[in-house]
Amino acid sequence: MNLALLSLAIPLFSGLLLLLGGRALRTRTTGFIAIASTLASLIAAWLALQEVAAAGTTLLLNLGGWETGLAIRLRLSSLSALLLLFTALMHLLIGLYAGLSRAGINRDFWALSCFLHGSLAALWLSADLFNLYITLELLGLTAVAMVALSGSKAYRPAANYLILSLAASLFYLLGVALLYGRYGELDVLLLAPRTEADVITRLALLLMTTGLMLKAALWPLHLWLPPAHASAPTAVSALLSGLVVKGPLFILWVLWSEVAPPTLAQQIGPVLAIAGMIALTAGGLSAMRSPHIKTLVAYSTVAQLGYALMALGLLLTWQLPQMHIALWLFVIAHGLAKASLFLAAGEMQASLGTRRVDGLRGATQTVPVAMFAFAVAGGSLIGLPPSGGFLAKWVLLEPLLSQPQNWPWAIGVLLGTLVSAAYIFRVVALSFDRARINPPDINPDRVGHWLALLPALMVWGMALSGEWLIQLLAGGGV
Amino acid sequence: MMLSWTSLLPVLIILSSLIPGLLIFATPEAAARRRIILNLTGVFLKLLLVALMLAGVSRGLEFRFVIAFLPDAQLVLQGDALSLQFVALSSVLWLMTTIYAIGYLENSPLRSRFFGYFSLCVSTTVGLALAGNMITFLLFYELLTLATFPLVVHRGTPEALRAGRIYLAYTLGGGALLLMGIALLHSIAGTPDFVPGGYLTALAGEHAFSLRVAFGLMILGLGVKAALVPLHGWLPQAMVAPAPVSALLHAVAVVKAGAFGIIRVVYDVFGIEATTLLSLTQPLMWLAAVTIIFASIRALQQQDIKKRLAYSTVSQVSYITLGVSLVGPIAAVGAIVHLVHQGLMKITLFFCAGNFAETLGIHKIQEMDGLGKRMPWSMAAFTVGALGMIGVPPIAGFISKWYLATGALEVNQHWVLLVLGGSALLNAAYFLPLIYRGWFRAPPAGGWHDDHFTNQRFETHWMLLLPPLITASLSILVGVFAGTIFSPLGWSQFIVNREFGL
Repeated sequence: MNLALLSLAIPLFSGLLLLLGGRALRTRTTGFIAIASTLASLIAAWLALQEVAAAGTTLLLNLGGWETGLAIRLRLSSLSALLLLFTALMHLLIGLYAGLSRAGINRDFWALSCFLHGSLAALWLSADLFNLYITLELLGLTAVAMVALSGSKAYRPAANYLILSLAASLFYLLGVALLYGRYGELDVLLLAPRTEADVITRLALLLMTTGLMLKAALWPLHLWLPPAHASAPTAVSALLSGLVVKGPLFILWVLWSEVAPPTLAQQIGPVLAIAGMIALTAGGLSAMRSPHIKTLVAYSTVAQLGYALMALGLLLTWQLPQMHIALWLFVIAHGLAKASLFLAAGEMQASLGTRRVDGLRGATQTVPVAMFAFAVAGGSLIGLPPSGGFLAKWVLLEPLLSQPQNWPWAIGVLLGTLVSAAYIFRVVALSFDRARINPPDINPDRVGHWLALLPALMVWGMALSGEWLIQLLAGGGV
Repeated sequence: MMLSWTSLLPVLIILSSLIPGLLIFATPEAAARRRIILNLTGVFLKLLLVALMLAGVSRGLEFRFVIAFLPDAQLVLQGDALSLQFVALSSVLWLMTTIYAIGYLENSPLRSRFFGYFSLCVSTTVGLALAGNMITFLLFYELLTLATFPLVVHRGTPEALRAGRIYLAYTLGGGALLLMGIALLHSIAGTPDFVPGGYLTALAGEHAFSLRVAFGLMILGLGVKAALVPLHGWLPQAMVAPAPVSALLHAVAVVKAGAFGIIRVVYDVFGIEATTLLSLTQPLMWLAAVTIIFASIRALQQQDIKKRLAYSTVSQVSYITLGVSLVGPIAAVGAIVHLVHQGLMKITLFFCAGNFAETLGIHKIQEMDGLGKRMPWSMAAFTVGALGMIGVPPIAGFISKWYLATGALEVNQHWVLLVLGGSALLNAAYFLPLIYRGWFRAPPAGGWHDDHFTNQRFETHWMLLLPPLITASLSILVGVFAGTIFSPLGWSQFIVNREFGL
């Protein structure tokens, strides 16, 4: 447990250090400190995962030794340990890119990314609805600041993002207040056995769900996401799409699978699953039509979150452990693939001097490595074997296909696959155009391109550790 | 896990082309010699390893490599008699196509990319042949799509891109259906290894409906690559690819992957017993029969040589499906041996068509007049391939048709003889005019409008000429020596004896 705490504390403290150090530190030093602390946090998360796997149960810790009910209670399950590890890994990969690629990054990025890392770690570990609110708020504010890093052209999307984020938090907070008024309790473990399906609880859950769905950009509350994610600096887009939207999703999952009474959860399950199915197709179609590279990638996030939402909805409906596994496999596979996709998109955009998809003509010749990264990461989004996306899709499909009455859901997955293939290969096919090549403006940055490929290779490598991941996720529900 | 040489051999066979492929990607464009050395090292190493495995399997050794992948579904590579048939075919034809492609692409741009994907394509084909269960098969089936796409669009012209998009739409759609079918099957019966006789017989009663749906999905998914009508639309489009790619696509890699998959599904997953119990053979037979006749008629309508050959492929590959669906041992021999025979003959035809186009700029059938005078060797190879397709003894195609026909009689499906006879007539109708024009018409009065390689010792570049001559001779040899045990026919008999427990 202390290791998990370490994994949370290291980025927070180094974020503070960087903030206090400010301009006194050189940019290189700043980046170095941030990456080193991420690495340390990664190791701590790995050890925490070993610890919780060895213990075989969920570990609890009351901060400061206060008794339950007063203390800030942290909870480490195999899932949260895995998410800690995932968060640190993503930060490491993207930090390396930001630090080593020629594109570089505003120096304020490093402190913010440390805070982002810390607040996400705190989110995975919190077991109290109010603490979750705090982490959510921290996460939202850091994310807004990071979008604004790309300068004045991003202020407008950043401001919109801020307003929506605050509104969403308000919804969530209202729900929390209602629950507190009704039960006098906000600790998830204490609240869970007491909730009943009465009007106040329903209203509270509805408010909180709305807020969370807005924050996680789940269909139909996703419209803010593409402009915000597309206008941020490349490294930030990767963090936002790959990680940040998963935070509210986690809270949504805690809320419905633990706090809400099972009868209500079973009612909302199909609604969420249908929303997920629509997200898959509608988001994919928007991605297919999008004229800009980064917007295409951002819409694909909306679509891919549909898989997660579908898995969550069906988990609530049927209470099947496979859905739980599928949900988190999707989250991890999507995170890695999306990081690669955004980094590759950003690099190609910079090298070719265009933001338009049409500008990628001939990209297999002019920017081969980045284009390869894009295609490989896209393959995982489509769910081609043996990528991580395939693993998740396979786990999701199994229970859907075992009963003929569940087959309509499988058709949703099939549609999602086809639409994802359509928007990924729209880009890939263009890149093979040799007749009308768009020549690069600048000499492509080889380091940046290879670093963009790294997460994509990892997501394809996930298949090799598939059994381990599935066992880990199957071991502990929470 | 114990790693002995028998478990490593299947992996080594795949790596023997994968590693050279990856190295070729990293080879600078100008380093032609290094690229050729890498290519040929890979080819000969693979042939050596395949020969080793052939010797092992015929002595009853087991080659099996396993790693964990999905819950209850491992990645299994294994060398059994059927997979070796396909592996041996792809390795031999890879050698031919590599030589051909080196000559064909001399001095053209982006060769490193081309040969890189070329090697990946062969690696995935071999992986698909060695796949020991449906999941592994699916994996290589999808990877094959990804490896062939860059080859189809290699020219990068708008037409090539259009063909590439169509190709992807068909194959990725098919892949998704296949995935659904396999996942459905997995939820009913898990994913055990392929086993002669299948593993579903006991479940056929209880899960009849689901199994039928799974079979349908899988056949649709495989039918895209096997170009069963109406899923064949991509194949004639894909003709814009360079000639070596067409040759590989038609004879070895893509269409064969589909046909091979159908053989696996019917024999080693469902098994003949369950397929018959679920009454799935009849629809498959009809599908194959319609494809054979329809595609032959379409071939007759084409004026472009490569397009005519493409439709002929659609028709000929369905012989395999037809033989499989007849579910008799003799027809099965015909189907499995046709996998090899069609490959040898079709690759010859495509090599020759490529030679005509490269040497004299001939693409249309009308332009073939008097070709035999300028390019006698290529024309002779072409004639062997075409006559073989029609079924003239002693060329390979005759053996396949003979076994298919006697197989149909054995299971009392007499109407199949009509299909085979009609197809042979149609084959004659669309191949004989080409042969006639080539040998018996006078060359164009104004000379060839485009004449390359006139300063060469041979009628064309020797690297373009040698491969079709070898494959044409092989088509005759496997026909003449069909009776020996190490001919494709003998080996097919060996496979069928296992499948049918004879």
